[in-house]
Amino acid sequence: MRSEQEFRDQLRSWIRSKSGEGETAALTDGTALFEERYLRSVHLPELLLLLERLCGEPIDVEELSPRDFRSIDAMVRRYARSGVAS
Amino acid sequence: MSPSPAELARIGLSWQPSGQAALRGPLLALAEDCDRAFVRLAGLWRAREERHPCSLPAERLQRVGYLRSFPHQASFAARLSPEEADLEAFLDGPVVDEHGALAQARLSPLSEVLTPAACYHVFSDRLGHSLAGPEFVTTRNSCFRREREYVPLRRLSGFTMREVVCLGTGADTAEFLRLAREALELFFPLAGLEPQWHPATDPFFRPRENPRYLLQRVDPVKYEAIYGGDLAIASTNRHHDHFGTGFGLTLDGRPVHSACVAFGLERWLFALTDRHGTDPERWPSLEAAAAKVCAELGGGAP
Repeated sequence: MRSEQEFRDQLRSWIRSKSGEGETAALTDGTALFEERYLRSVHLPELLLLLERLCGEPIDVEELSPRDFRSIDAMVRRYARSGVAS
Repeated sequence: MSPSPAELARIGLSWQPSGQAALRGPLLALAEDCDRAFVRLAGLWRAREERHPCSLPAERLQRVGYLRSFPHQASFAARLSPEEADLEAFLDGPVVDEHGALAQARLSPLSEVLTPAACYHVFSDRLGHSLAGPEFVTTRNSCFRREREYVPLRRLSGFTMREVVCLGTGADTAEFLRLAREALELFFPLAGLEPQWHPATDPFFRPRENPRYLLQRVDPVKYEAIYGGDLAIASTNRHHDHFGTGFGLTLDGRPVHSACVAFGLERWLFALTDRHGTDPERWPSLEAAAAKVCAELGGGAP
């Protein structure tokens, strides 16, 4: 079973890989990812697949809510606890 | 109660079955008062007026994926094939068939898209520009969108859009949208309207497959002022650097961010006549209301 810390680490690592080189120095788990353009629309399909894999459940795009995607903390809060992670 | 079609016709609405409206008399005067009010509000940023053509090259719109996102809404400027034989074949036929469609018409390749939103021109016309600083623009255009059905003054195939556009940094656009929202929240009650703001998404084709729709779900960039529960009469839109990147616009070496405020003029006519009736004596002076807003916010061009 994937722990919350593993969930957080994998998510953080993936986001760093998508952001430009040298752009992630100021990135924290509370950073507004889309607002501050660390992530863009083109990253979303892959992000959703990653979250589905990490939490072990399908995500309905009609259920997507801004408050759940604002930051790494927000995604962990919403998705790490909804699936197999504990 | 909403005015009847006969009442709207009496004050100047001529509704076309194609989903377009002709205006004259009091209703045209009201539309122009609305537009002057929006231009007055644009003075909060000393926005410069621009006038643009009625279509854009498809190649330009492709830079920002418009036709992939909204193919179901696009309208095109079509021309007959200029080949002599094609024109002769066309003239040998009935020209227009019993359904109102052109008969035996061979078309030139479609390359021009009728304006889908007024602000596209602002970005396209600056293709490749390096901005010296933030720019504020206002422009009005006839816009065209195919819809499933058309409703007088509410949903049209061709309608009039006034926009105020900000090009600058992310901070410039955030401040622009903050002030726009503040201005409109003062303006609406002076117009006798009390729309509710709601986050919204654009009507993407197959939205679940479109990353831009997904983005609008997780990062609300569009808010609509909804009148009467279901009619958007204004919207604020934060584009981030979508248009700056697509059209090669830069500021200090980085892609320009942009945002806009958009007003659908015909929908304002619906809301105002729905709220105040069809007697022009009862209509508020919108330009005066906008001037009052500008004075209260301490800005605006004279």
